[in-house]
Amino acid sequence: MLNLAESITSLLTTATDAAGGLQQAAGHGAAEAAAHGATHATDVVMGPWYVLLIPLLPMLGVVLVTLTALLGIRTKLPAWLTVACLGGAFATTVVMYWNVSAGPAVTYGFRWIDLATGNGHRFTADFGLYVDSLTCLWMLFVTGLGTLIALYASEYMADDLKAGYARFFMAFNLFVFSMACLVMADNLVLMFLGWEGVGLCSYLLIGYYFKKPSAVAASKKAFVVNRIGDLGLLMGIFLTYVEFGTVQYAELFPMVEPYVELVKSGMAWDVPMRVGLIPVLFMVGAFGKSAQLPLFVWLPDAMEGPTPVSALIHAATMVTAGVYLIARTYAFFVVSPIALPIVAWVGAATALVSATIGMAQFDIKRIMAYSTVSQLGYMFCGLAFLSTAGAAFHVLTHAFFKAMLFLACGAVMHGFAGQLDLRKLSGVAFMKGWGIVGIAMFVGCLNLAGFPFTAGYFSKDMILAEAFVTQGPGYSVLGWVLLVTAGLTAYYTFRVFFRVFVGPRHAEPGDDHHDHAHDAGEHGDAEPDHHHGFHPHAPGWAINLVLALLTVGSIAAAGLYFVDKENHGWVGGMIHNSSAYTSAGSAAFLDSANIGMHVDDPVGTGHSADHDDAHGGAHGTLFGQDPHKIMYYVSAVFGVVGILTAAYLHGPKGPLGLFIGGRTKAATSRADGLADAMMPLPTYARNKWYFDEFYGALIVKPLRALSHVFHLIDKLLIDGLVNLIGSLPRFVASLIRPSQSGLLQGYAAGMAAGLAVVVVTVWMVIAVTGGGS
Amino acid sequence: MDMLTTLAQADLPAAMAPATLAHYLFLSAAMFAIGLIGFLTRRNLIVMFLCTELMFQAAGIALIAFSRFHMEQTGQTFVIFVLTVAAAEAALALALVVLLFRRRDSLDAEQWSEMKG
Amino acid sequence: MLLAMMIAPLVFVLIVASRPAEHARGIALLGSGVSLLLGLISWRMFIRPGGPDAIDPLAFSMDWLPSMGIRLDLGVDSVSLLMILLSCLLAPLCVLGSWTAIVKDQRTFYGWLLGLQAAIVGVFAARDLMVFYICFEFTLVPMYILISRFGSTNRRAAGTKFFLYTFTGSLIALAGLVYVVWFTAQHHGGWTLNIDRLAESARMMSATEQAWVMAAMLAGFAVKVPLFPFHTWLPLAHTEAPTAGSVILAGVLLKLGTYGIYRFVLPFTPVAVAEYAPLIATLSIIGIVYAGLICWVQTDVKKLVAYSSVSHLGFCVLGLMSLNHAGLQGSILYMINHGLSTGALFLLVGFMYERYHTRSMNELGGLAAKMPVWTCFMVFFVMASVGLPGLNGFVSEFLCMLGTFQAGGEGGQWGLTGYELPGVTWGVLGPWYALFAGTGVIIAAIYLLFLVGKICFGPLVEPVGHNDHPGPLPADLTGREIFTLMPLAVLCLVLGLYPSPVMDLLEPSVAKTVAVVQSAAAGESRNDAHIGAHSGLDAGAVIVSEVLPTVDSQTGGVR
Repeated sequence: MLNLAESITSLLTTATDAAGGLQQAAGHGAAEAAAHGATHATDVVMGPWYVLLIPLLPMLGVVLVTLTALLGIRTKLPAWLTVACLGGAFATTVVMYWNVSAGPAVTYGFRWIDLATGNGHRFTADFGLYVDSLTCLWMLFVTGLGTLIALYASEYMADDLKAGYARFFMAFNLFVFSMACLVMADNLVLMFLGWEGVGLCSYLLIGYYFKKPSAVAASKKAFVVNRIGDLGLLMGIFLTYVEFGTVQYAELFPMVEPYVELVKSGMAWDVPMRVGLIPVLFMVGAFGKSAQLPLFVWLPDAMEGPTPVSALIHAATMVTAGVYLIARTYAFFVVSPIALPIVAWVGAATALVSATIGMAQFDIKRIMAYSTVSQLGYMFCGLAFLSTAGAAFHVLTHAFFKAMLFLACGAVMHGFAGQLDLRKLSGVAFMKGWGIVGIAMFVGCLNLAGFPFTAGYFSKDMILAEAFVTQGPGYSVLGWVLLVTAGLTAYYTFRVFFRVFVGPRHAEPGDDHHDHAHDAGEHGDAEPDHHHGFHPHAPGWAINLVLALLTVGSIAAAGLYFVDKENHGWVGGMIHNSSAYTSAGSAAFLDSANIGMHVDDPVGTGHSADHDDAHGGAHGTLFGQDPHKIMYYVSAVFGVVGILTAAYLHGPKGPLGLFIGGRTKAATSRADGLADAMMPLPTYARNKWYFDEFYGALIVKPLRALSHVFHLIDKLLIDGLVNLIGSLPRFVASLIRPSQSGLLQGYAAGMAAGLAVVVVTVWMVIAVTGGGS
Repeated sequence: MDMLTTLAQADLPAAMAPATLAHYLFLSAAMFAIGLIGFLTRRNLIVMFLCTELMFQAAGIALIAFSRFHMEQTGQTFVIFVLTVAAAEAALALALVVLLFRRRDSLDAEQWSEMKG
Repeated sequence: MLLAMMIAPLVFVLIVASRPAEHARGIALLGSGVSLLLGLISWRMFIRPGGPDAIDPLAFSMDWLPSMGIRLDLGVDSVSLLMILLSCLLAPLCVLGSWTAIVKDQRTFYGWLLGLQAAIVGVFAARDLMVFYICFEFTLVPMYILISRFGSTNRRAAGTKFFLYTFTGSLIALAGLVYVVWFTAQHHGGWTLNIDRLAESARMMSATEQAWVMAAMLAGFAVKVPLFPFHTWLPLAHTEAPTAGSVILAGVLLKLGTYGIYRFVLPFTPVAVAEYAPLIATLSIIGIVYAGLICWVQTDVKKLVAYSSVSHLGFCVLGLMSLNHAGLQGSILYMINHGLSTGALFLLVGFMYERYHTRSMNELGGLAAKMPVWTCFMVFFVMASVGLPGLNGFVSEFLCMLGTFQAGGEGGQWGLTGYELPGVTWGVLGPWYALFAGTGVIIAAIYLLFLVGKICFGPLVEPVGHNDHPGPLPADLTGREIFTLMPLAVLCLVLGLYPSPVMDLLEPSVAKTVAVVQSAAAGESRNDAHIGAHSGLDAGAVIVSEVLPTVDSQTGGVR
């Protein structure tokens, strides 16, 4: 009774509170945010309201596009709505960028998960947005590229106007919304919402062509592999809460500071092991989302999705979420003695392995996918080498040039009925109407190859140099690995360019459903213009416009390197004001005489380095020089050698093959002979070093077998046991059933006998007890 | 216990002496035994039914005898009830027997032993 | 009010029985609609402003068998109210979902459906053990009839197994409960069956007694949940049951088990629970993984969803066993969320079955081409079921796992002497439990996407000869069917994005239970607890008599 009475009375009061609704919730949030500002050193201020528009506008896009689908509108309206919404979000982001203050600001949305957990603590994960310059950096390219790619997709997806067009743009908007949540969240749980949300959109969009079994399988694979990483992230969130009692960045970061101080003063081993474990768990999530070893297998398969999706989600934005996560929670990584070295080794290994796989592929989109995996490896290395600025800069430049490369590939795919095999296409850049695509591809390839003075060159150098500057377990080895990988990257990038975009003009259409492919099976060596049957259709204005804009953008991105030179470029400046820097910077890890950030001993084994003259003994060197300076030359050499190799092996005869190429046909090149000589390595690489088969044999098949075994156990053992127990009464009954003869007299005799027994018993009892008493 | 002692102490009746409780009880027991034996040995449904009635009435006689012996009306009241119920039951049972007879053209009780374990 | 909610469906049962069969479904819809309306009014009344002096307008209390202390006592706290609301919501949807599926014996079907609704309200509203138990057992009868009369081919066996298995379990539970009643009568000189008072006295039992009572109660509730390894009746029952039966079974009847654990096992035998929680949690985790993997190799769509229930309910029990705020709140939310999303999945499978007359995944594939709207709903509810953040499943799953993770304070897996970590609460589980349960999240993604990938996507596969005999239904969902699914979809979204009103409502009830369990189990000496509980019981009686005057005279009479 006590329980009931008290619970009812207390319920009545709290229920009243709950009925207060949003208004009160908003007030609560304001108080919360104010409390953060008051109690913690980092002055978190109330953010402006309009940043809420950045996630909400894409959400509006989702609603509007869904409405068009419901109303049965079969025009390009969904695309324009998407462009408008995302453009609005981009504009808002720009406004946010101009107004971003020095410190982080939190804008409160509404209550989400908020409960008392006993012991006087609350678990609070509300819908709030945390804005600092790291947020701005990411959101600028997410919304910017999102808008551009939506514009591109309006044309690219036009074949599907009858069905799926709205579905595509619905998921597209939802993706930008989720990405905004991921990047702008003010707590780890909301970040996790975005994290899984982008996974969902990735699933929906990879499986966009749902009739293709390979697309369905790829989408499933992407989601499941990501989920494995997500579990790690989830555990990391739990551990963070247990350790610090909060999951909100604004409260969390100041709490980590003391540990950073510990590391700084050489007492890294005094940091509790639990704290050191948090980044390791986060890292698992980051490896899943950013397709690093051993969880990278989903990304190449994800190319089953429409190309705009590959460009936006699987090259530019979503896959960089892992980098963002590490940058955002950088303080945790700095205090862990093992996290960053693991990140470094995994990143470098991924970069090398996927580059070798990329070299042997023939599908140009897959080559781009592997190059994405490889470049992500670079970014992770950048983070591990304590160059968050380098990593972030590479994220930015990569987002531009890789999106551009994908979009160019997409244009080819769109124009040639889904043809992606580089042996079946040649000289595309010189066909009528394909000029802009060719230029875009060329610029993109230069960037990816790290050709001197391109944006990709500067951003890659920042990372490479730090490999030799930062002291860590085998970091200089990793530096050489990354340098070799840079050469390989240049090779396979230009392999695509030399094969597909220059050389003799030739095209065989793919086997896609295509309105323009009247005779899809026909092919030959003739000029496509004279080809009887197949007419590639050149990209229209939307695709060309987007490619042109991106081309300009990725050239201009190089300029960012020279802005704000003090902080190592514009991106460095952005990082400088964010949580990715605060921790490392305040711990005096920053070698202020230099560009970039690095500790001399990230392992933290009680180093005694004097940071102020870091150019001295503790500073790593390359060829006896300062790596920052000499790297400009070293990496340029690797890049150019890679390009020249590609030109020699795949370039066409004449000036476009740099006068060293000798290819005259689309299908064959000098590389074929080399590949034969190196057998079986190219076959292995083409088959992705059998990673899928390995996982299949080691994990999927045993698990599936186990499932079958469980199913049998369930049917036979457990249910059998239940049925056995259930049949026990029946068994016992069968023993005594014959007594029921069905004869009336039989029963009567039984009754009489029973009566007799009773009578005799009573008689005897009387006799024994002496009757009379 | 009282009842049984009385029974034990009762003298055997002299010739033409007024009937004592023991006489009635003896009659009741005899009727019950006849009914029981009849029920067990006969196969005819109607006869079996009559035998049950016989047992019923035997119990009734015993009740009335005790009722008279103790000078109490409860037993007699009870017998009135039993008679009423027995009358209703007889009507019902005979109807059932008629129905059964129509099905098998026989009054043999063994015809109806379908439940065989 | 609660009495009205129990009686209203019964009145409509009479109306259904007295009208021609073709009116049955309309009347049933009206009846379940009325009960939904009453449910919403109760909700409104429950959260209305009012001070501590306010008399609970929902409660109802009258003597039934005074000599045994049995009363018709009805009342709700937020947990039971939410469960009642869930059943009120699902009832009309079930009627709508069976609109065309049930063609014969409509009166029987809809009559028993309404009767079931009354019994379910009774279970959740009961404040008296006798009322609870009668309603608890009575739910078996309608369900048995729904399964064994309206199910598919193997329905009789399934119905019998369902009935006997759960009935046997509940009888053992009854034995345990009777022991508690007897114990209470022995120690307090008078019969009472009031659940809260029984709980107070039950906590005075010795640890051994508690363990036995807990085992007995769990026998009933664990079978109902169902907890591994007592789950084998469920796939069979679900597969054979008609759609409405599956929806109610998964949506509400399974929750009787977890609700029973929350309402009886935790407050009655906290010491034993604290001792055996690791064992029960381990069983739940085995269930999560084991049933999840079994899902993956199913070929029957409905069986897959049924096994997924076993897997999901594992999280629910795990949350309860964490014995802290987050876990318990998560678990209760889970009960509701699972009812919504799995109920919807069963409806969807039912709609598909009505069109194709098969549930075999080998005969179906790529239905997205034919049924785009159906596929949209399917993907949506699968995602809710997978626990995608932003939809309802995530919040509850997250809280269950968080509760498990942090529940390991003193002597638990955190191995702490005190509570120096801010996020650790009292409890006997810990991070490893959460990690292993977390693998269930991955497995859920595997099997549910396997399901979607197989029947929704890929090349179109239809049963041989399907198109030769077009049924009365269109290829894709009808307006009625969309209308049936819409409320569930909206609730999934709302509870995923803005669960705080519900959580605030739950917080006091849960806090009370947690406090009771923790204070009883956290290791005060037995004698202290005994004395404390004695005086607590007296105080409780006084407070109750103030708040609920109707109880007053009876309380005096009993003692």
